[in-house]
Amino acid sequence: MNFLFNWMYYFASGGLILVGLYIVLVKTNLIKIIIGINFIETGVNILLISIGYIKGRTAPIFSTTDINPADVVDPIPQALVLTAIVIGVAVLALALSIVIRVYKHNKTLDVTKIKGLKW
Amino acid sequence: MVNPSLLVGIPLAFAFSIPLFSLISKKIEKYIPVVALLINLTISFVLIPQVLKKPIIVSLGGWSPPFCINLVVGPLGIFLATLISGIGFLVSVYAVSYIKKEPTQKYHILFLLLIVGAIGIVLTGDIFNLFVFFEILCISSYALVAYNKDKEGTEAAIKYLIQGSIGSSLILIGIALLYGFFGTLNMADIASRITSVEPTYLFISLAFLITGFGIEAAVFPLNAWLPDAHSSAPSSISAILSGIAIKTGVYGIARMIFTIFNAGSILTFIAFLGLLTLLIGEMSAFRQDDIKRLLAYSSIGQIGLIVFALGIATPPGVFASLFQIVSHTLAKALLFLAAGYMIYKVGSKNITSLNGIGKRMPLTSLAFAIGSFSLIGLPPFAGFMSKLSIVYAAIQVKKPIFLAFIAIALIATVIEAGYFFKIVQNLYFKKGENIDKITETSGFILIPIIILTGAIIIIGVHPQFITGLLKEAANELLGRATYIGWVLGGT
Repeated sequence: MNFLFNWMYYFASGGLILVGLYIVLVKTNLIKIIIGINFIETGVNILLISIGYIKGRTAPIFSTTDINPADVVDPIPQALVLTAIVIGVAVLALALSIVIRVYKHNKTLDVTKIKGLKW
Repeated sequence: MVNPSLLVGIPLAFAFSIPLFSLISKKIEKYIPVVALLINLTISFVLIPQVLKKPIIVSLGGWSPPFCINLVVGPLGIFLATLISGIGFLVSVYAVSYIKKEPTQKYHILFLLLIVGAIGIVLTGDIFNLFVFFEILCISSYALVAYNKDKEGTEAAIKYLIQGSIGSSLILIGIALLYGFFGTLNMADIASRITSVEPTYLFISLAFLITGFGIEAAVFPLNAWLPDAHSSAPSSISAILSGIAIKTGVYGIARMIFTIFNAGSILTFIAFLGLLTLLIGEMSAFRQDDIKRLLAYSSIGQIGLIVFALGIATPPGVFASLFQIVSHTLAKALLFLAAGYMIYKVGSKNITSLNGIGKRMPLTSLAFAIGSFSLIGLPPFAGFMSKLSIVYAAIQVKKPIFLAFIAIALIATVIEAGYFFKIVQNLYFKKGENIDKITETSGFILIPIIILTGAIIIIGVHPQFITGLLKEAANELLGRATYIGWVLGGT
C-alpha cells in the first residue's frame, strides 16, 4: 500500500498516457482522437510535475519573505510544464481548426471514411 | 564578432514584424522573408571561419553553463544553420511569385517561424529548448501543409498533426525521464554524467527520444505521414519540409545517440533501420504515378541512406552521412521547386501529363534532370561524391554485415535510377498532349532553380569547398569529450 502511495503520481501519469494512446489508436472520430492527444499531453505534464515533487513541501512562490528555499519543490519542472501547456493549447487550437476544414470537405469526421490519400 | 543568437533572433523578429510592414504596403510583405534569410545567410557565412577556429558558446540570461539556456555553435551547428538559411533563402525567393493564394501574409510568417525552429534545433545546447524549437518547427509545418485548404491538404495535415504531436509527447517523456535522472537540462552536463545512471533506465529514455525524433525524421516504420504531407503541401513547402524539416529529426537522433547517450551498442540496429527505410522508400516510390508523391517517397529512401551512414559511426561514415544531407537537401529542394512549377503550368500532378515538356520548358526540365541524376548518384554531380563516400565508409569498417548492408543499399540505388530515368525520359522523349501553350518560367522562379543547379554541379566537381567543414562537424558528433569541454570548460 505504501508503495502505491509513493508512486501514485507516476501511475496516474502513465495511466493517462496509455488511455490517450488507446483513444488515438482505437477511436475513429477525429475529435475523439484529438481529445486522446490531449490526454497524452496531460499525462506527460503530470509526469514532469511529479518528477519535481518533494513530499511535504510547498509551491515555489515567494510571495512572502518567510519562505525558506529548502521548503519548496523543484521549480524547473513547473516552468517546463507551463511551456508544455502553452504548446499543447497551440496544437489543440490548430488541430481543431484543421478538423473543421476536414469536415467541410468530407462531411464526416470518421477517419475510416476519409480516404482521399492512400498508400 | 557577430552574436550567433541573431541567427534565431532575426527570422523571429522579422516574422512578427510582417503585419507591421504590410500596414505600410501589401506588396512588401513577400520580400521580408527574403531579406531576413539573406541576413541570416550572411551571418552564418561570417561565423563559419570563427567557429572553425573556436566554437562559440552563447549563454543566455547572464548565468554560466550548466545553469543557463545556452546556444552551442560548433561546426555541426553552423554547418546545418548555413544549409537551412541557404535553402530557406532560395525557397523564399521562389515563393515571391509562387504563392498567390491568400492569406499570403500568414504563409510568410509561418515560413519564417519554420526556419526559426529548424535553426534553433541545430544550435541549442539545452534539451528542453530543443523541444520548444522542435514544436515551433512542427506546429508551423502542420499549418503550412494545410495552407491550400483543399481536401488533400487538410487530410494530410491532420494525419501529420496526430502523428507529430504523439512524437513530440514521446520526446517530452524522454526529456522528463532525463531530468529525473540528472536534475539538469543542459546537454553537455547530462552527457558528462551519463555513466552515473543504470544503463537500463537510460535505454528507456533513449527509446522514447529516438522514437519521437524518428517520427519527424520519417524513419520506417514511423513514416506514414510523410508522403501525404509532402505531396499535398504547396511545392515551396514540400521543398522546405523535404530539405530541412526531416533533417532536423535526423540531427536529433544523431545528437542523442552520439553526444548525450554515447550509445554505441544500438548503432548497428540504427543502420539496419536506415537500410529498411531506404528499401521501403525506394520500392514505394517506384510504383507512384503522382510526381510529388514519388519525390516524397524518394525522400524517405534518402533519409534511410543518411541514417544508415550515421549507423556506421566511424569518422568517414558520419562524414558521408552529413555529405549526403547536403546533396539530398540541394537535389530534393531543386526537384520540388522545378516540379512545382511544371505542375503549376500543366495543371496535373500525374507523371504522364509531363510528357514532352522538356521542349517547352528547357531550363526547368534540365534542372529537374540534373537534380534527379544527382540523387541517383551520377558523376559529376554532388550525389555521386556523397554516395561514393558512403560506400567507402561502409567498406572501410571491415565488418561483413556492413558489406552486406551496402550491397543492399546499392540495389536500392538501382531502383531509384529506374524511376528517375523514367521521368526524365518522359520529359524529353515522349510526345505530350495539350502542351503547346506552355512557356518557360521567368523571373524569381528561375533564380533559385539556377542557383541550386549550380551548387549541385560545383559541389560535385569541387567537393573540397565543404569537406573541411563536414569533417569538423563529424568530429564534433563523434568527439563527445570535446563537446562537453566546450560547454562546461576545460576539464
